[in-house]
Amino acid sequence: MHNDVPAREGTGGRDHEFRVEALRWLPEVTRFALSLERDEADADDLVQETFLKAYEAWHTYTPGTECRGWLFTICRNACYKRRKREERHVRCDDPELEALAAVAVHAAAQQGGLADLFSRFDLSDAIDAAIAALPEAFREVVILVDVNDQSYDSAAALLDVPIGTVRSRLFRARRLLQEALITHARDAGLVRSPRKAGIPGQEPR
Amino acid sequence: MKRFVPRWLARVFSMKDGMWDDAMAAPMLDCESVMRQLWDYVDAELTPERMKDIRMHVEMCKRCYPQYEFERAFLDAVSARRRTHSDPERLRASVLAALQSKGLSEA
Repeated sequence: MHNDVPAREGTGGRDHEFRVEALRWLPEVTRFALSLERDEADADDLVQETFLKAYEAWHTYTPGTECRGWLFTICRNACYKRRKREERHVRCDDPELEALAAVAVHAAAQQGGLADLFSRFDLSDAIDAAIAALPEAFREVVILVDVNDQSYDSAAALLDVPIGTVRSRLFRARRLLQEALITHARDAGLVRSPRKAGIPGQEPR
Repeated sequence: MKRFVPRWLARVFSMKDGMWDDAMAAPMLDCESVMRQLWDYVDAELTPERMKDIRMHVEMCKRCYPQYEFERAFLDAVSARRRTHSDPERLRASVLAALQSKGLSEA
């Protein structure tokens, strides 16, 4: 940490700019940190570290550019630096093939009586567990796009990967999540009972 | 999703209950093209023209509409996992205190 931060327009102007442009994103950065860290105290530390780093590096921020994305990048990098992540490169398939694979997942859900799985049951805990169990490269795109509403473009810029990589990782991640949730539903006996469906002589799983 | 369609027209285009029974008969796009871009469509990442083409197909196709519903419900369930902080004001105060210790002037 350095205290001798280069001033843009004197400390007062710089601090005002920082308050107006950076601190307004505190709720969004908090939400992002909460998706990266399961423990709220860890998320608090991460948020604080993010804003301290942002304040130190404020002279490198270009006013008027996407400040939220800039803060997310700092937050993500700080998080991974803390964790000293394992190798995060994963093989990427064709995103369109991944999109087509979703058809097979849906078909499996339909066959298993789980076509309305996501609208009929509260899967909150299972979703959290399934997201946590994803390989990191897949988890981070889900956190960015599906949990934090980032566009493919923003996620690509933030992760410093091509947009095609975001798409293929995202679609693969969604398939992995759906498969995990379908397995969870089967194991938890959430499958629609064949007896109720009017098929005599068959016991529900 | 039901839309009124004259019975004769439904027969001509293999429709049942106001939806395209034969996906190939649905307008503009075939089902495979739609499935290839369904995630992009659900995420609103396509051009306005492409969004419109796919929406027209999905709304009328008996094969694609359930798939769309399934994916939409899945994404709704995932995005609902967005967590909120238990005490945002305390966090804001502690962030501000840390920044002020690094030189941020008081507002």
